Amino acid sequence: MNTAQLLKGQLWIHFEGRSFKYENPNQKKFGKQKSSAGKTGEIKALMPGKITKLLKKMGDQVEAGEVVMAMEAMKMEYTLKADVAGVIEQLDCKTGDQVSLGKTLFKVKVSHVS
Amino acid sequence: MASKKIQRLAIANRGEVAVRIIRACEELGIESVLLHSEADMGTRAYRLASKKICIGPAATADSYLNIAANIQGALAGNADAVHPGFGFLSENAEFAEACEKAGLIFVGPPVKATRILGDKVRCKELAKKLELPLVPGYDGENQTLDFLVKEAEKIGFPVIVKAAAGGGGRGMKVLRSSAEAKELIESAQREAVSAFGSPKVFLEKYLDRAKHIEFQIFGDSSGRVIHLMDRECSVQRRHQKIIEEATSPSLSSELRRKMGEAAILIASQAGYKGAGTVEFLLQDEKFFLLEVNTRLQVEHPVTEMVMGVDLVKAQILTAQGDPVFSEQQTIAARGHAVECRIYAENPYLGGIPSTGILGKVIWPEGPGRRFEYGFEEGDEITPFYDPMIAKVIVWDENRIRCIQKMKKVLRDSVIFGVETNIPYLLEILSHPEFVQGKMTTRFIENHFSEALELPALSEAEKNFAEQALKTFRPASTAIGNSGELVNSPWQQSWRGV
Repeated sequence: MNTAQLLKGQLWIHFEGRSFKYENPNQKKFGKQKSSAGKTGEIKALMPGKITKLLKKMGDQVEAGEVVMAMEAMKMEYTLKADVAGVIEQLDCKTGDQVSLGKTLFKVKVSHVS
Repeated sequence: MASKKIQRLAIANRGEVAVRIIRACEELGIESVLLHSEADMGTRAYRLASKKICIGPAATADSYLNIAANIQGALAGNADAVHPGFGFLSENAEFAEACEKAGLIFVGPPVKATRILGDKVRCKELAKKLELPLVPGYDGENQTLDFLVKEAEKIGFPVIVKAAAGGGGRGMKVLRSSAEAKELIESAQREAVSAFGSPKVFLEKYLDRAKHIEFQIFGDSSGRVIHLMDRECSVQRRHQKIIEEATSPSLSSELRRKMGEAAILIASQAGYKGAGTVEFLLQDEKFFLLEVNTRLQVEHPVTEMVMGVDLVKAQILTAQGDPVFSEQQTIAARGHAVECRIYAENPYLGGIPSTGILGKVIWPEGPGRRFEYGFEEGDEITPFYDPMIAKVIVWDENRIRCIQKMKKVLRDSVIFGVETNIPYLLEILSHPEFVQGKMTTRFIENHFSEALELPALSEAEKNFAEQALKTFRPASTAIGNSGELVNSPWQQSWRGV
């Protein structure tokens, strides 16, 4: 059965065996995560959850792919890694914090090869 | 086990399994007492239970994992028995003991059996004594990081680290080199504490082309232990089962007989009663005992479908000392059953959890289709608990028809408000390796990337969506007059918003 529903300004569609969220193409790209476009050094929470461990602090040098923190949501732990090499210039959470979706957790300032 | 009729059964769980237990209670004429957290008042189990007692805040440590709170709740609700469901305290021997001390019948195995089989380390000791085949590993008391890393090196990578008190993929990581071992063991220990209250882990050689086969065992009130055939749960993602089926397409009758005998042997040696599952890994026609789950399993419905039994009612009846299952029922499986777990997660973003308030939900009912769900339209999927929001189970005469039916059912299922793994499930069900029954526990890892590619919308989909958009958001055009669209398919839900 084909059906649609508007929930909190978001249009949900089920059409011929497939469900999807529909967004006006003029507004923003459907379903795409902004961060997938480029490595910015800024890591946001992709889900609401709790910060369970911080492995780095402000000013620490990190490699691309290095784990900076761990968070837990729905009883699973996820590690958050730096996407670029550099220095942590912003760290907006501490262990035990409950963070909401989209919150910036940390930023790495890209350091150039010396 | 007591031989008194249960009048009121407390349910120390939530979601779809709480609903499953409530249904069994209703059919047996038993009142249900739901022990729930503050966050779970908007759930189906809450609406269906005959009585509900709030036992604490959302955080599991303060509610569903809190033994004292559960006991107090059960007593306050005048219950005479407790069903722990699966997960949470279901395999916790202290909880079973606390129930007994409080005069409550624990619907599960005797404390002694849980202590032996539920502790993965002690379970292995018993298996060794019975000369059952085990995967090589380390399961000692030394839990210091450096020591565990050295043990992992000794076993030889890849090595899997697991929570001693756990199950369901929590606190489980595959270590592929010394370099990453330390960090992953630490992460597993943290997950283990959070999910099971104990940081204890053990290590095992990771078999990389094995199938996950398990046997449903059942010990009746007379002490007889039988098995109700096997299930295959090789389709796993991050060590969490996604698709299960009964019976396994991978067992010869000879192998089935041997594994079934091994399952019965270890369970009966431990004095098992009630429902339990003996898990094996099968590689190159050789089987290894993995662990025993001393509880009802998430995937129990596939066994129920092919064996024609009701495991939850059987658990309750056994707990009150009644006989269950005729000889005839346990001889053979009939047809095939497949279960898909529906997770609230975004398949296009690597399966990260998706939370929110559910909109329209439609389950396409039909013959041989079973829907186990804990949430309905208007309920909130919160970040506090497991992302599994429902299970879809289908039965058909053979495996291929069963897979076809499942695909149709999933395509016709509607869940608005949160993203689900349905697109992912459909991809798996269409994969030749799955269809041929050749999948191993690394099937997902080998064939699927973390995130599915988001397919572009077809013209027909766009047109439908645009039309709907105009209906909901009447812009400058005249089309937005709701009166014109009374018979349109989306009108009904639009009205409900």
